Amino acid sequence: MKHSGQVSYHLCRLLLGAVFGWAGAVKALDVPAFAGQVAAYQLLPYAWNYAVAATLPYVELLAGTLLLVNIRSKPAALLLLLLNTLFIAVLASVMARGLSIDCGCFGPDAGTTPLQALGRDALLLALAVAVYWQHDRYLPPPTT
Amino acid sequence: MKPLQLTLIEAVLIALLGLLAGLVVNHRLVLDAFAGRLAASGPVAATASAILPQPVLLAEVRDLAAAGALPVDARDGALYADGHLPAAVSLPLAEADALMERFRQQVAAERTLILYCNGYGCPDSFDLGLRLISEGYRDVRVFEGGFPEWRDAGLPVVKGNQ
Repeated sequence: MKHSGQVSYHLCRLLLGAVFGWAGAVKALDVPAFAGQVAAYQLLPYAWNYAVAATLPYVELLAGTLLLVNIRSKPAALLLLLLNTLFIAVLASVMARGLSIDCGCFGPDAGTTPLQALGRDALLLALAVAVYWQHDRYLPPPTT
Repeated sequence: MKPLQLTLIEAVLIALLGLLAGLVVNHRLVLDAFAGRLAASGPVAATASAILPQPVLLAEVRDLAAAGALPVDARDGALYADGHLPAAVSLPLAEADALMERFRQQVAAERTLILYCNGYGCPDSFDLGLRLISEGYRDVRVFEGGFPEWRDAGLPVVKGNQ
């Protein structure tokens, strides 16, 4: 049971890390385009769209990388859990306001509607919860 | 300290490290965005010594338009018809060659022009600005926020063709 739990933990960790590492890298390569997609959410003043576009991809990239290499994976999963909760709230506000925009989650030209993105973020949230929850349950405590 | 608190602190530290990395890599872009210098900060501006289109922010666009500046829409005709700034003329970058002669006949070279397109990441207004400067226009401004920022600010939008 413990062995299958460990396998499940590592699979979830690698999948979550790969998704966010990829999402961060794609957006970091074209910051102005991502700023445009952030602006389409109509939540922030002009220049702050650039500030978010310049930094958010690197947060995702760093958290994703930490998960992939299995260093500080629990706090990285917690960070992505919190980020995903924020993304879901933002996407819900987009839908509530009736905006028809591309989510911009995986950079320009991904062509994902807010509803599709909401479903995907719900899955990623579940994945982040799984990594966070399974970390202490199935991994041996660090030897000090 | 409880394990959750520790994990939360570490998560915040990871976020801060990511933020810092993003700011280090993109500091110039972010500083330019807050200073309203974006349109002139690209690689074209870094190498060109000629007159360049000057970036303007939303508030300046309103003042300039009220003072008689001419908004010029660099997007394609369908987007223009869907909604544009009041008194804007359509001059899509893709059709600039065909339409430039008529534009020059209608608009004096001394007129202040405010170019815009789809805002963030859209280079058409800046490129059209360079073209208009080469055609003899000397006061060419680029509204980087473009039509989306104007519309989202709740300012009047006109539909239909010119």
